[in-house]
Amino acid sequence: MVEHCSVCYGESVIIDDVSFSVEEGEIAAMIGPNGSGKTTLMRTILGLTPLKQGEILLFGKHLHQVRPLIGYVPQRFMFDRDFPITIREFLDLSRHYACPESRMLEKIHEVGLGTEILKKRLGMLSGGQLQRVLIAQAILNNPRILFLDEPSTGIDISGEAAFYDVIEHLNKEHGTTIILVSHDIAVISDLVDRVICINKHLLCHGPPKTALTPKKLTEVFGKRAEVYEHHAHQHKHHHL
Amino acid sequence: MNVFVEMISFPFMQRAFLAGMILGLLLACLGVYVTLRRMAFFGDGIAHASLAGIAIALLAGIAPLPTALAWALFIAIFIFWLERKVRISSDSLIGILFTASMALGVILMRFTQGYQPDLVSYLFGSILSIQTVDLFVIFLVTAGILAWIAISFRSLTSMSLSEEQASVNGVNTTLQSLLLYIALALATVLGVKILGIILVSALLILPSATSRLLTRSFKSFFFVSILLAETAILVGLTSSYFLDLPSGAAVILVGTILFFLAIFFRKK
Repeated sequence: MVEHCSVCYGESVIIDDVSFSVEEGEIAAMIGPNGSGKTTLMRTILGLTPLKQGEILLFGKHLHQVRPLIGYVPQRFMFDRDFPITIREFLDLSRHYACPESRMLEKIHEVGLGTEILKKRLGMLSGGQLQRVLIAQAILNNPRILFLDEPSTGIDISGEAAFYDVIEHLNKEHGTTIILVSHDIAVISDLVDRVICINKHLLCHGPPKTALTPKKLTEVFGKRAEVYEHHAHQHKHHHL
Repeated sequence: MNVFVEMISFPFMQRAFLAGMILGLLLACLGVYVTLRRMAFFGDGIAHASLAGIAIALLAGIAPLPTALAWALFIAIFIFWLERKVRISSDSLIGILFTASMALGVILMRFTQGYQPDLVSYLFGSILSIQTVDLFVIFLVTAGILAWIAISFRSLTSMSLSEEQASVNGVNTTLQSLLLYIALALATVLGVKILGIILVSALLILPSATSRLLTRSFKSFFFVSILLAETAILVGLTSSYFLDLPSGAAVILVGTILFFLAIFFRKK
């Protein structure tokens, strides 16, 4: 639950008095044009950017009380590609002491990778493989809520569909609440239970069918928002 | 063979080897995080800044090592605080503070009466300089830092990979960074007696930089770093004894040779 949340960088207001809530077990998407503050809002929820005003509660508690229940996949995992660390060692860094080592194999399979990848060096992975490994790391401790910032960045179109299948699987099979930041309204409208449209202020909030009206889309993304067929997914997509 | 037995029979060589082995372990472990977090200049800066601590001790007629440790601790915490207070790059801040502290050391040395033979050994290291009390301090501080590394191993490694990700996973990144600064400052000053102010930071960088060329996993990166540091110390101190060389210079040259051997013989 985000209540009257405001975030500033110096003098400039990035998020202004935004309030919304997401039910447990839902998939919710924060959408908005570039620079609208959606990533900042996600970072604020995760405690990476300071909150100027307002309150953020997860499962009715403050962030520091529920950290073990959270998984996070950043938009770009910035790291030194020469860092000598294997995938197994990387996953092990996030593993809670109560989490059995066998869970690493389970999660690697769950994100559609083979166990042979555990011996590979993290810096040798392709964009799509890295994204899957990051998801495996984020879900290793069976989080109750998973945050994904532009999760399909760096993945090609064929990989993107499979990637969203993984997200859907986590939500349906494990009941994990998922909050993602995206600009791809098309994928989102089919996948999510709730959209949160942000452009500094909260512009709309609710199920995509009722919240994402053509009028609201124009309001959020401007007049250049259009609709076209996306053949790779066979969905009707709204793109910028 | 007899010459080696004779070398080891000298108490000053026993102290130098023991101190060197302990320091090799400590500097190699910390060096892993120094190279990954690109903090090489921090070690160099702290070592140079410790000159003021040594000068204060010589002027006041008190034990140089504890004074230099306290001074380095102060400088490390001051850099950490300034980095978060002032919008100037970390390198610039370290550059300003270490030169200022060194300048202070040079001026204080001017007021110290008579010839200071200690100064040359502080600059380039000396195997003769390790006393039993130094060995005791080196052992205690090293044990404390290694215990912290063992406890915080996952947090430190995770932070070195991505500070943001570590923070989301619940690591107190501010506290761990401060502790790393403190540990580095203490370890660098401990190494000053054997390796010298000018050269000590090289033993933070060389073993881990060499190990990085040779290894693929973090575990092997860590252990090969320790192995390389101990090799450089053992071979360097032995050469220092037989060839009458400054110990710091001998150790660092051995480390550098190992680094270039790794470049030429590593698997592509």
